[in-house]
Amino acid sequence: MTLKTTMTLLLAGAAVTLSASVATAQTNLRVFVSSQHRPDVWRKAFDMYEAKNSNVKVTIETGGNTSEQQAQYLNTVMTAKDSSLDIMILDVIRPAQYAAAGWTVPFNEVLGSDAANYMKRYLPAYAEANTVDGKVVALPAFADAMFLYYRKDLLEKHGIQPPQTWDELAAAAKKVTDAEKDPNLQGLSFQGKAIEGAVCTFLLPYWSMGKQLVSDGKLSFDKDAAVKSLKLWKDFVDQGVAKKNIAEVATDDTRKEFQSGNVLFAVNWSYAWGQFQGAESAVKDKVGVVKLPAVQGGQPASCLGGWEWGVSAYSSNKTEAQKLVQYLSSPETSEFMAINASLLPQFPEVYTDADVTKAVPWFANAKPVVETAKARPVTPRYNEVSEIIRTTVNGVLAGQSTPEEGATQMEGRLRRVLR
Amino acid sequence: MATASETTLVTTHNESGTKWWTRFLDPSERTLAVLLLMPAALLLTLIIVYPVCRLIWTSFQSLSLTSGLPATFAGLENYTLMLEDPVFWETTWNTVLITLITVPGALFVGLALALMANLPFNVKWPVRLSLLIPWALPLSFAGLIFAWFFHSEYGVVNDVLRRIGIEGVIWFNSANWAFAAICLTIVWKTSSFMALIILAGLQTIPRSLYEAADVDGAGRLRQFFEITLPLLKPAIVVALIFRTITALQTFDIPFTMTRGGPGTSTATLAMYIHQNTVDFLDLGYGSALAVVMFALSMGVTAVYLRMIRAKG
Repeated sequence: MTLKTTMTLLLAGAAVTLSASVATAQTNLRVFVSSQHRPDVWRKAFDMYEAKNSNVKVTIETGGNTSEQQAQYLNTVMTAKDSSLDIMILDVIRPAQYAAAGWTVPFNEVLGSDAANYMKRYLPAYAEANTVDGKVVALPAFADAMFLYYRKDLLEKHGIQPPQTWDELAAAAKKVTDAEKDPNLQGLSFQGKAIEGAVCTFLLPYWSMGKQLVSDGKLSFDKDAAVKSLKLWKDFVDQGVAKKNIAEVATDDTRKEFQSGNVLFAVNWSYAWGQFQGAESAVKDKVGVVKLPAVQGGQPASCLGGWEWGVSAYSSNKTEAQKLVQYLSSPETSEFMAINASLLPQFPEVYTDADVTKAVPWFANAKPVVETAKARPVTPRYNEVSEIIRTTVNGVLAGQSTPEEGATQMEGRLRRVLR
Repeated sequence: MATASETTLVTTHNESGTKWWTRFLDPSERTLAVLLLMPAALLLTLIIVYPVCRLIWTSFQSLSLTSGLPATFAGLENYTLMLEDPVFWETTWNTVLITLITVPGALFVGLALALMANLPFNVKWPVRLSLLIPWALPLSFAGLIFAWFFHSEYGVVNDVLRRIGIEGVIWFNSANWAFAAICLTIVWKTSSFMALIILAGLQTIPRSLYEAADVDGAGRLRQFFEITLPLLKPAIVVALIFRTITALQTFDIPFTMTRGGPGTSTATLAMYIHQNTVDFLDLGYGSALAVVMFALSMGVTAVYLRMIRAKG
């Protein structure tokens, strides 16, 4: 091949490439999806969107396997004003913080004057978590809450009903573990490691006593309730209901140990259900799930989870990104994700949808739990609040400090943050 | 004489009224030196001087991304806040303690390793390679690997202890054991670096000194204290400087092993800086903490440099 022909070919190639890109004017959207929430199924949802909108191409990015690790990554990207991400999934505790930092674009312009009505379609807790000072800062991706999982087979064998209170749970756990004489069988598994889950660990009994951590943006710390909450969990460890190294246990450890048949009761999020019913699960068809127990004389309380779609303020395709998010946060996608990834819907009516109840029958019982689940404090300084609570829970469970000392430290440090 | 004539040459050159840029075409030694140093100086200004000045400036500002407010000048507020912050004191103390334990620890282990590696083996590469591997391993990998080693249920450490009849401990459930586990890991990870530098020092000591000592009837131990150790001093001081500064900046290993737990009992100052800036987005307070760490590192370096100069 002569030099001349080579050059001609190269030029022709360049011309073709150029004209092709002009013709389609394609928008590339890069979406950050949490790796623990079935990016493979989200991919299918994106494929369906691409099929309908041929000018949009969606790429998925994942990273980190806990909420904190993902937040650390996203914080770095956003602080650098990096435009590479267009859409990101955010844990329910973060939209307020991201909005305060100016990292997300509000949806009010695209939703118009109808924003309030638009948000009314969602479960109220999610409409609230995504609205900051009248601005819709993100749209809900899916709902979540904490549940009590139990071994149906073992409770039936010993003639025990699922517990209504934490005391009943301790008694039931002792009865079963004593009778089973299996050294590997733990009575109860919960999250004691200094991770986000430990914040809920602390708040479950605290809320169950009818106390709030924050009201009207001010700290409303009830020290007695805090001591009782920390003591409840520490007593489980001391009485042998929970294992001694519970301070090492993270959310997915609880899931794995229950799944391998070593746990009688487990506190966990809804994602665990799908895994317990999986092919490699030792407890397939032996699992029951109910609302979490209450403290003696209190109301049962669950921790509100769920994730939200936010559009980056540094995205160069904000309009296209917001369109995609509206599709992702629609009843149709919610139904698709409920059936295919067992993610809890953010719309009340999807729970009773015939296809959904057929695919995931237990969602019917999950609805009242999600509806009454309490939200962790909504504050831009949530990361600090979270760090204070989880390190205290971790320290008390490890025996570093007593429940009384822990509650005192927690109060002192929280006062500095939520003045 | 040469300098005098050169000066007159330059002066006459200037007085002759040539254009300023001809100095670049026919540079005197001073301009040449400036020109040659310029790229390095510019680069250093860009990547060291500017960020450090910016850091110090930010530390006097109230700048928290979660507040939604623009940065304002806050004077010494971040520093007074620090004095009242129990976690700052705890993390600083942990950092100092880690330095005091792991620097001498790594020195002794490293010295022993270097002496062993310096023995006349027939095949030298397996020894050198085993010295290099811990050093070449990224810190966070070492942290993650040792976190599994020390895991109370699945870890190899407790398994070995159980096999020899000792009940293991839940390492990360106790501040002291977690601290011990972290220090052991750091010593394992860093002593090979010490060993490499000391080994290089060992090889500069002429054999003839030992031969002479043999003739004079000095024993092995005496040879070590009278010849090896004094001649190794420069290598040891260099290794100590590097090791101490990295010890003050300890982050990866505790971060991956314990995340500072239980509670905040194994968190270091570097981790606290990271937490305040990356997690809490409080750039003002995080910068103030970083300035303190910078001052600490500078202080230690100054002490070592003075030690070297006193020796020289």
